[in-house]
Amino acid sequence: MNIPWLTILIFLPMLGAVGVALLPREEHGQHRAVGLGFMLLTLGAAIAVALEFDPAPFAPEFQLQTNVPWVPSLGIGYHVGIDGIALVLILLTAVLGPLVVLTAWKSVQTQVKEFVIALLVLQTAMLGAFSALDLVLFYVFWEAMLVPMYLLIGVWGSERRIYAAVKFFIYTMAGSLLMLVAILYLYYAAVGPAGRTFDFPEILRLAPGLPLAAQRWLFLAFALSFAIKVPMVPLHTWLPDAHTEAPAAGSVVLAGVLLKMGAFGFLRYAFPLFPDAAAAFRPLVATLAVVGIVYGALMCLAQRDMKRLVAYSSVSHLGFVMLGLSAMTVEGLTGGVYQMLNHGVSTGALFVLVGLLYERRHTRAMADYGGIARAAPALAALWMLVTLASIGLPGTNGFVGEFLILAGSWNSRIGGAPWFAAVGAIGVILGAVYMLWMFQRVFLGPNRKAENQTIADLSGREWTILVPLAALIVVMGVHPQPFLDRIEPSVQRLVDRLGAHHGAEVGTPPPSIDRQELILHPVPTTPYGQPPHLPPQFLRRLQELRRHHP
Amino acid sequence: MFLHAGYLVWIPLLPLLGALALGTIGPRLRRDDVSLIACGTVAGAFLLALVAFAAVWNGALPSFSAPWFSAGRFQVAGGLTVDRLSAVMLLVVTGVGFLIHVYSTGYMAEDPGYSRFFAYLNLFVGAMLILVLADNLVLLFVGWEGVGLCSYLLIGFWYDDDAKASAGTKAFVVNRVGDFGFGLAVFGLLALYGTVNFGALSSAVSASPPDELLRQGVFAGMHVQGAVTLIALLFVVGVTGKSAQLPLYVWLPDAMAGPTPVSALIHAATMVTAGVYLMCRLSFLFALSPVAMLVVSLVGGGTALFAAAIAFAQNDIKKVLAYSTISQLGYMVLAVGVGAFWAAILHLVTHACFKALLFLGSGSVIHGMHGEQDMRKMGGLRGRLPQTALAFGIGTVAITGVLPFSGFFSKDAILGLALGTGNRLFPWAPWTLYLLGTAAALGTAFYMWRLWMLTFEGTARTEAAAHAHEAPPSMAVPNHVLAFLSIATLALGLPLEGGAPLQRFLSPIFSPATHLLPALSPPHEEGVPWLTYAVALAVAWAGFAAARWLYGSGAPAFGLRPSAGKAGLLRGSGRELPARWAAAFPAGYRFVANKFYVDELYGAVIVAPLWGGAKTLWRVLDAGLVDTVVIRGSAALVKAFSQYVLRPLQNGDAQRYATVMALGAVALLYWVLR
Repeated sequence: MNIPWLTILIFLPMLGAVGVALLPREEHGQHRAVGLGFMLLTLGAAIAVALEFDPAPFAPEFQLQTNVPWVPSLGIGYHVGIDGIALVLILLTAVLGPLVVLTAWKSVQTQVKEFVIALLVLQTAMLGAFSALDLVLFYVFWEAMLVPMYLLIGVWGSERRIYAAVKFFIYTMAGSLLMLVAILYLYYAAVGPAGRTFDFPEILRLAPGLPLAAQRWLFLAFALSFAIKVPMVPLHTWLPDAHTEAPAAGSVVLAGVLLKMGAFGFLRYAFPLFPDAAAAFRPLVATLAVVGIVYGALMCLAQRDMKRLVAYSSVSHLGFVMLGLSAMTVEGLTGGVYQMLNHGVSTGALFVLVGLLYERRHTRAMADYGGIARAAPALAALWMLVTLASIGLPGTNGFVGEFLILAGSWNSRIGGAPWFAAVGAIGVILGAVYMLWMFQRVFLGPNRKAENQTIADLSGREWTILVPLAALIVVMGVHPQPFLDRIEPSVQRLVDRLGAHHGAEVGTPPPSIDRQELILHPVPTTPYGQPPHLPPQFLRRLQELRRHHP
Repeated sequence: MFLHAGYLVWIPLLPLLGALALGTIGPRLRRDDVSLIACGTVAGAFLLALVAFAAVWNGALPSFSAPWFSAGRFQVAGGLTVDRLSAVMLLVVTGVGFLIHVYSTGYMAEDPGYSRFFAYLNLFVGAMLILVLADNLVLLFVGWEGVGLCSYLLIGFWYDDDAKASAGTKAFVVNRVGDFGFGLAVFGLLALYGTVNFGALSSAVSASPPDELLRQGVFAGMHVQGAVTLIALLFVVGVTGKSAQLPLYVWLPDAMAGPTPVSALIHAATMVTAGVYLMCRLSFLFALSPVAMLVVSLVGGGTALFAAAIAFAQNDIKKVLAYSTISQLGYMVLAVGVGAFWAAILHLVTHACFKALLFLGSGSVIHGMHGEQDMRKMGGLRGRLPQTALAFGIGTVAITGVLPFSGFFSKDAILGLALGTGNRLFPWAPWTLYLLGTAAALGTAFYMWRLWMLTFEGTARTEAAAHAHEAPPSMAVPNHVLAFLSIATLALGLPLEGGAPLQRFLSPIFSPATHLLPALSPPHEEGVPWLTYAVALAVAWAGFAAARWLYGSGAPAFGLRPSAGKAGLLRGSGRELPARWAAAFPAGYRFVANKFYVDELYGAVIVAPLWGGAKTLWRVLDAGLVDTVVIRGSAALVKAFSQYVLRPLQNGDAQRYATVMALGAVALLYWVLR
């Protein structure tokens, strides 16, 4: 039997939105409960999708496909399907969904109905954007994300919400329109024997054949749109405002999933469609990525507002993601995708935590806190764990991602690759500085303020939000392989595609010294006092050395 | 599956489970149960470590491996293995760790954060054991960062105090600077050899000629030796962070803000020696690069002397011991740099015993003095704390290198080998290093005996010192055991026929390196260096004599006393001389007493510019250029264009519309008929 799990997954939240719309306006409890229920059902559907997905390296690239004509005369179809990268991002989206509703449970008290509807519509749009295999369908979902997010910031945000919402909208819109132009150009330029189409797999087959000059412009149009979303420096200034003004739940979705949309766009569209242009612009992407890592981290040091600090830390972390992507090696790309998940979990958790403090004291300034670890030890402990994940401590998820990114970037074939990795690694130092500084300012030292003496520790609802995230941080750090196994085949395909156009230019070079012929001998142990038996090739080597250095 | 060879897993797992239990349900347990879990898990790890040691003794190589993560060509295993080197480390970590756990049950008995303290301490032991047992660099890094985390948590254990919290943050950040080098070095090894596993690396290094020209990859155009030098130097950056060497030692003195057992376990006996352990693990790599070896030895020798000099002018008993630790770590690093890897490990083991002893002794003193750490307020404690004084005295003779205590053999093995190991590229190295080390030994003897005189000799200078009370048994017994070990470990370093016992035990580990070394750095002199023995003894006694002369009797004078002139710098009773000298050379005294102003220098050169630069950058670039000029500017431009160009065009005035239309028609006609 063939259940269209993916379509069910995408439209379940939408169904929930319709359901909430039918409820009476005053019944806030019902709105939240139905919203939470549908988010949980969506999570169930996502798990079903994950179980259906075949992670084997030679399984079809896009799985769980549904392809129905939509506007046949224009070659537009409702075509959905996922690869491994989309799968893990869908899982992330589905996991965050219920937690987001719980985050807003108390803090949003006005127009709850509209709020829940906005969250559910946003969920559908995000899941759709990850699943779409038709350029028009993708564009529709892509733009559909914009409206609910705009409302979330503009209606339920704090003081300067209108400014932040408009800024967010115009920034994103400017990029999307260029992408639309590029999509239309592709429609007319990439024509196969079957005629014009917006179908992605078909265009993916044809687009790499376009001349380099056209590819460059198309790449730039797509890349600009995605770079704004990521955001890459210097297109990032909408982010601190949007995050600072958005309600905590909005920030979690924004950081957790929406930012990933930009990096996903590079992986799914900008890189594979225009491999020659991607190779040409790779140094630029890598440069902007490392600039983003260091610049974002420096910006964090200048902040007094916790949310703004976390927002700038996202700029730095997404810089890591883009550095991994620009390496165009299996290690770097896998690490980049994994870091997208990590960032969703850990920064999502950070925004939840900042939101909890804001609910208690209605201020985001670090100076208004200090020494509250004594009053709220559990909150402090979980904040510490998330801090550690954010600075990539081994044993947490952040380490695996950062390590793969830096290792992949160091070994990529881009000119001066080690320098990119080295500058990126400076971000690891600065990350510890600003995150620990924030922790110290908020939780350590003497608790001087009277209103902070009785700050409440975590409630049951708050535990429910944070425990899954904390568990993910540890599990993804200790046992990352199930995720990596699903990411890697898709990444390998991308590397092959890029490599097919550049021969030796892309991909991981083999180690400088080939150790294929080496037989591994453990260091010999001998009974106490006896001279050791050395491996034969070592003795050979020793004789050579003695010959060369008498 | 964990029953047979898998018992290795339980060595780090037991303390980690202890940490998990204490961290979650600890606050609800009775104190006795907390102590039982904390000490019991470490004792269990110690017993398993004995089993592992016995297996290694009998020639086995217990190991365990499970995949951790992989992507592309890059694979990391969660592999544990015990060889002779890690077996020695295992015993040190679990043995000293257990004693300090027991001691802490007494020292921390009154603390409200009792279970939290032991959760951190267990977590530390678990992380340290991962570091020691790891069979690859990435897993070692897990332990490396894990112990750093515990160090951070324990330095800032009393986090209500801002200074203590800052000390913790400082330790973490400075170590991160070191980790930067560590990480890049691992990436470099991956690029060069394609593996991070120690066994595979060792084979790969011995199979590739150092003068082979690399033709591909990151190091294209370099010789293997050049690439290895670069990688080794990056590792050294990591070592200077973790093992508190120049120039990254600055966090360790501040780390004394933590409870004293923490200083003993983490900041003296185990964690800070991780850098030395790492270099010994990678001895086959370091031995390939004479340049890296020279840098290592100079860093070690320089740190040994530098830190000893700072210790002269410290009055906080723990600060003296902290600088002493930095100095002794310098000896270990120096030993690695001259290829005397076994001597580095010997000094590591003896130092772990006597420095843990000294720190625990100082803890007993501080405990007896109700938290007082200033030696100027002590004096005459030998009478009040006889048992502590006895143990502390044993530690002091051990560290100052009095024959025949353990410090003598380990330190003089290092100094003798420093003088005896030539360097093909740098012929001046042996004498330089020997003089640095000997001067530091003189300094060590002086500051340790100064500490002894000020604390235990003379008469009580305060009420607290006059009524100090002896430590409870839970604190005294570990002291005695460590005092016994400080004496017993001398057996490891006895210069017997065919090498010291520890040297012979470890020789299989270091044989790839030591077989490589003679080609690069031939022995400088032959035979047992009796001369260095005589010099070392003379130096140890000279330091004692100087300290006794200056601080030996009565109430010594402290600090700057302006009344004393330059006259009579060597006359009068010894105890007045330090103050007179300080008064005669106030600038010099302040320079030393303020630790050469290194913290201030870093503050001015790195920290302040970083924060100031970040704020400026934010105002100018982010809020200024991008947001104001580009974003608001473009918006203003659109507004201005509509206001001044578009709006006047459609102001609703029909006559003007007609005029424009007529003009347009004329222009059109002209263009068409032209």
